[in-house]
Amino acid sequence: MSDLIVVESVSKRYVTSSGPIEALHDVSLSVGAGEFCTLIGPSGCGKSTLLGMLGGLVTADTGRLLVDGRPVNGPDPGRVATVFQDAGLFPWRTALENVEFGLELQGVPRERRRAVATELLGPLGLRDFAEKYPRELSGGLRQRVAIGRALAIDTQIILMDEPFGALDEQTRLLMGEWLLDIWRRTRKTVVFVTHSLHEALALSTRVMVMTARPGRIKRVLELPMPYPRAMESAEMVALRATLWSGIRDESLRAMGER
Amino acid sequence: MTSRCARWASADVRVPALRAAILVLFLLAWEGVARTANPLLYVPPSAVLPAFGRLLALESYPDLVPSLLLTLREILVAYALAIAAGLGCGFALGLNRTIGRAYGPILAALYAVPAVVWYPSLMLFFGLDAASKIAFGFLLGFFPITLAVLAGIRQVSPHMLVVARAFGARPLVIFVKVMVPAMLFTLVGGLRTGLALSVIGVIVGEILGSRSGMGALINHAYGLFRTSDYVALVLVTLVLIVGSDALASLVERRAQRWTD
Repeated sequence: MSDLIVVESVSKRYVTSSGPIEALHDVSLSVGAGEFCTLIGPSGCGKSTLLGMLGGLVTADTGRLLVDGRPVNGPDPGRVATVFQDAGLFPWRTALENVEFGLELQGVPRERRRAVATELLGPLGLRDFAEKYPRELSGGLRQRVAIGRALAIDTQIILMDEPFGALDEQTRLLMGEWLLDIWRRTRKTVVFVTHSLHEALALSTRVMVMTARPGRIKRVLELPMPYPRAMESAEMVALRATLWSGIRDESLRAMGER
Repeated sequence: MTSRCARWASADVRVPALRAAILVLFLLAWEGVARTANPLLYVPPSAVLPAFGRLLALESYPDLVPSLLLTLREILVAYALAIAAGLGCGFALGLNRTIGRAYGPILAALYAVPAVVWYPSLMLFFGLDAASKIAFGFLLGFFPITLAVLAGIRQVSPHMLVVARAFGARPLVIFVKVMVPAMLFTLVGGLRTGLALSVIGVIVGEILGSRSGMGALINHAYGLFRTSDYVALVLVTLVLIVGSDALASLVERRAQRWTD
């Protein structure tokens, strides 16, 4: 399988008031087309920085990033869409108008983009909320609108930076199932950042564990099991233990650094 | 549903009724006090009403209409200049860190000075005619608009700008589709305050020294102890001010409904 996303020895250092911080150190990875690839690791390990680089929002100090064979050079809404932890909806736009945003920027005519967005609302479970403003929607619904906004521009790749991180656990579980359903229907390539072991194991085809700062890829877990996964099965429980043992040390290190 | 409708209706009636009540109470008190005092200095509403009629019939001041139009024109020009300069300065200071840091404190210092101290020098520079009134109306309207732009820019969430950038928005598109709508409510509030202050600037300017315009008429009536004419002129000016503010508040409410 040819790799859609290639990251080659990428490093990033931030300069803060308390001195330089090395966010990423020599990270290399690749993601194939159609994968659901999850980055997991302790707080501050540079997961979001890495995702920001893939989205063209953050520049790498060294190394290079390729998407579909071409170097990443700024945001490219033709190939990559991003969903953020904070939905970041525009409060003066209705749910439908928020979903249309990317299409509007691309100059898609009003009628056409309205049709595309309206069609998306069904599977997003937002049909009854088209004319609602973000302040009238719950956190889960808002995040669905944000995902709709990303799906609307129909890119091959969707980057998700802890999209359910701000939701309560029950909503989170439901949103995970829902996302899985959307992903299996659209077959997009997803790079997903999370803190949740459950999310990583239930959703991903591959999980990459990152180390504490400076972030590196510590280990990679392939998850070829079919969906929906029985999370209580002996196999998944064992995998969870493996994954946690990999993350635990890094989390301890990250906490000790504080 | 019906009880809610009923409550709405009763509020619709109650508010104007209360408003009318205070007005009537005020007029009655005014009438009562004025009748007992020196009629040269204190005019009761019952004497203002005929004076108001004479004013509107163009008997007491035949040049009422040109005066009113002149004042209106001065206000419009002053306000237009205040908007142009206020938006220009506000965005220059708010969007460019270096310019903001260099000139922001100067602006704040100037704003702290009571604007009326500038008026004598404005009359020296611009003369007794319209230009000095426009300059003063401009000066008063300029600051709230500039400050509203600065406050509005600070309100725009950086995250929204990142989102727009991620979807491929270029700076101009970000400005039009994200920044302006995000700050619209604050901006419109500043524009409303700016209008009110431009109006005040022009009228105060006219009263402090002029040969024409509503302020000049007010000065004339007041100087000749034509107190009832004076009050009638003030009422006409009041209608002008309240009218412009009502218009601005209408625009503001629309903006509020649009923004969060």
